[in-house]
Amino acid sequence: MDRRKIDVVLSTFLIIASLIILTNDNLAEGGAESDLGIMFLPRIVAGLIIIFASTIAIQSLRNLAAGSQIESREIIITDGFFGVFVYLGIFIGYWLAVPYVGFMIATTFVMLAVALLLGGRNWVPIIATSVITPVLIFYGSREFLRVYLPTWTL
Amino acid sequence: MFENIASGFASILSVGPILGIILGVVIGITFGAIPGISAIMAIAIMLPMTFYVDPIVGITMLLAVYKAGIYGGSISAILINTPGAAASFLTAQDGHALTKKGKSGKALDISLFSSVSGEMLATLVLILVAAPISTISLQAGPIEKVFLLLFAFTVIASMAGESIPRGLLSCCLGMLCAMVGMDSITGSARFTFGIDELIGGFTFTPMLIGILVMPEVINVIRRRSIPHHELAITRSPNPADNRISLKEYLKVFPTILKSSGIGTFIGALPGLGSSTAAFIAYGEAKRTSKKPEEYTKGSVEGIAAAESANNAVCGSSMIPMLTLSIPGDDVAALLMGAFLIHGLTPGPMIFFEHTETIYAIFAGFLITDLFLLGIARSGFKFFVKMASLRRYYIFPCVTAFAFTGAFTAGQNMNDILVLIAFMAIGYGMRMVGLNPAVFIIGFILTPFLEQNLDQAFAIVGGEYHLFFASPFSWVFIALSIFFVLSSIKMKSKAKKHPPELKEETA
Repeated sequence: MDRRKIDVVLSTFLIIASLIILTNDNLAEGGAESDLGIMFLPRIVAGLIIIFASTIAIQSLRNLAAGSQIESREIIITDGFFGVFVYLGIFIGYWLAVPYVGFMIATTFVMLAVALLLGGRNWVPIIATSVITPVLIFYGSREFLRVYLPTWTL
Repeated sequence: MFENIASGFASILSVGPILGIILGVVIGITFGAIPGISAIMAIAIMLPMTFYVDPIVGITMLLAVYKAGIYGGSISAILINTPGAAASFLTAQDGHALTKKGKSGKALDISLFSSVSGEMLATLVLILVAAPISTISLQAGPIEKVFLLLFAFTVIASMAGESIPRGLLSCCLGMLCAMVGMDSITGSARFTFGIDELIGGFTFTPMLIGILVMPEVINVIRRRSIPHHELAITRSPNPADNRISLKEYLKVFPTILKSSGIGTFIGALPGLGSSTAAFIAYGEAKRTSKKPEEYTKGSVEGIAAAESANNAVCGSSMIPMLTLSIPGDDVAALLMGAFLIHGLTPGPMIFFEHTETIYAIFAGFLITDLFLLGIARSGFKFFVKMASLRRYYIFPCVTAFAFTGAFTAGQNMNDILVLIAFMAIGYGMRMVGLNPAVFIIGFILTPFLEQNLDQAFAIVGGEYHLFFASPFSWVFIALSIFFVLSSIKMKSKAKKHPPELKEETA
């Protein structure tokens, strides 16, 4: 994938977001008055983002318009992206499941799923690791850190 | 000062801190040696586990993970030619060449001895230099601090990014994220869009794990089809090939000393980092060597130069962080976060407000080197075995630890959402050439900038020319311009004449 095209899209998005910060007065609510003003620094930063994003976009647009040869760092390798999306999906599922099924059960299944995704097929050690690790983390956190990880609520 | 150092040693030489150091060294070497896991990942995962222990134990443990993790990277570099970071690239070249000759023991030994020597020298410099610099920086008021922070933002962003606009943009995005939530000065809620959960801002630990650790996991998942490499120490029938003798060590000692000096100096400058130190020290060692032709083909001197410079950065990168509140690189930014979480605000006041703690941490830094030497020397086989674990055992555990770490920070499920969001942002940033480490530095330093800026405005009132009344202001403006110009020059030079070594690293 050509990174220069993404540069243009991303820079446009950042410029629009920065323009909203520069022009919208409703982005801060309440609070006391100060010498600096609550939106002073965000607006300075938004101004700088416009400058830097424009620089990146203009450079990329010029290269695209000139049809110049794409550099190695400007190529985004997308091989294996399916796995990345699956992993993100697993993580989102993990976040949704933990409040209901608890940390230990959700983590066991998530660890199994990640191991499977990474090509693991040695079932006995994988299952053992997936069961022992959450148990150790759960009780370790409770006993040593006084952190109570979520439990089954269904 | 020497009284403080003695009291620091007295505090560190007790069961808790020593156990913390031992655990940190073991975890650091193991994580560092596993291809695909870097020292920063190990520190970020360990960080939440230190929340509930004494700062002396927690911080020294994290520093032990850092030092041991940097050294651990050389194990996989030497044995399977897989440098965990760019800084270990040179070690991989010479070290793996020695491994192929059956001399991996020699390569691992010289790497360990030079790492420890470099780290010790840099730590001594840190101990001797930090307090005097902090006394000078105490003279700075809010106006000077504003210019100092602007200097830090400019230097780090322009030196660390793939290009100057991308580095500066990464920094600005981090600054913008730091402004989300309730402002500590006015009590105003900024960029919360009516969402109550955003009033507290983004929780630091989940964001940190998401932006710095998880993209590495995603990278491993993306490249999951690459076959696994088993680590193994090759043994030569000649015992002299399996170790480094005192004579051999003394022979390369001047190189270690010089490279450690280079590493210490470069580490103390914000934004340059260990890779630059390793490349400069290696180049200098090769230039002055009697056998330059051996470099990249299995030179013991080459490993010594790269490793001592690379590891010297660990200690000296703490100098700007502890004296000026400027984290010079990603690990320093992470450690600065750890200091803040433990209630220690890095900056000149730390030497007066937390004297005992800071000198205990310094003493722990020195003692870590001795433990690193002992543990690594006696446990090469164990660490190699641990580092040989297949990724489908390691990364499910990393996922579970990342989740736990993010949850531990606030015991709140919303923090997991922050982790997921910043995982995607962090990976996306890497893809488009933005620098997540600079983003984190922008995030950490913005509250300090805003606070000092507010105080500075209160001091000058309407007379804005007073901002430029102090010579410090002009010095920092001049330094910022100098660094940006030299960075532009360096980058355009590198573009025109890419150096052979760097090209191969990329």
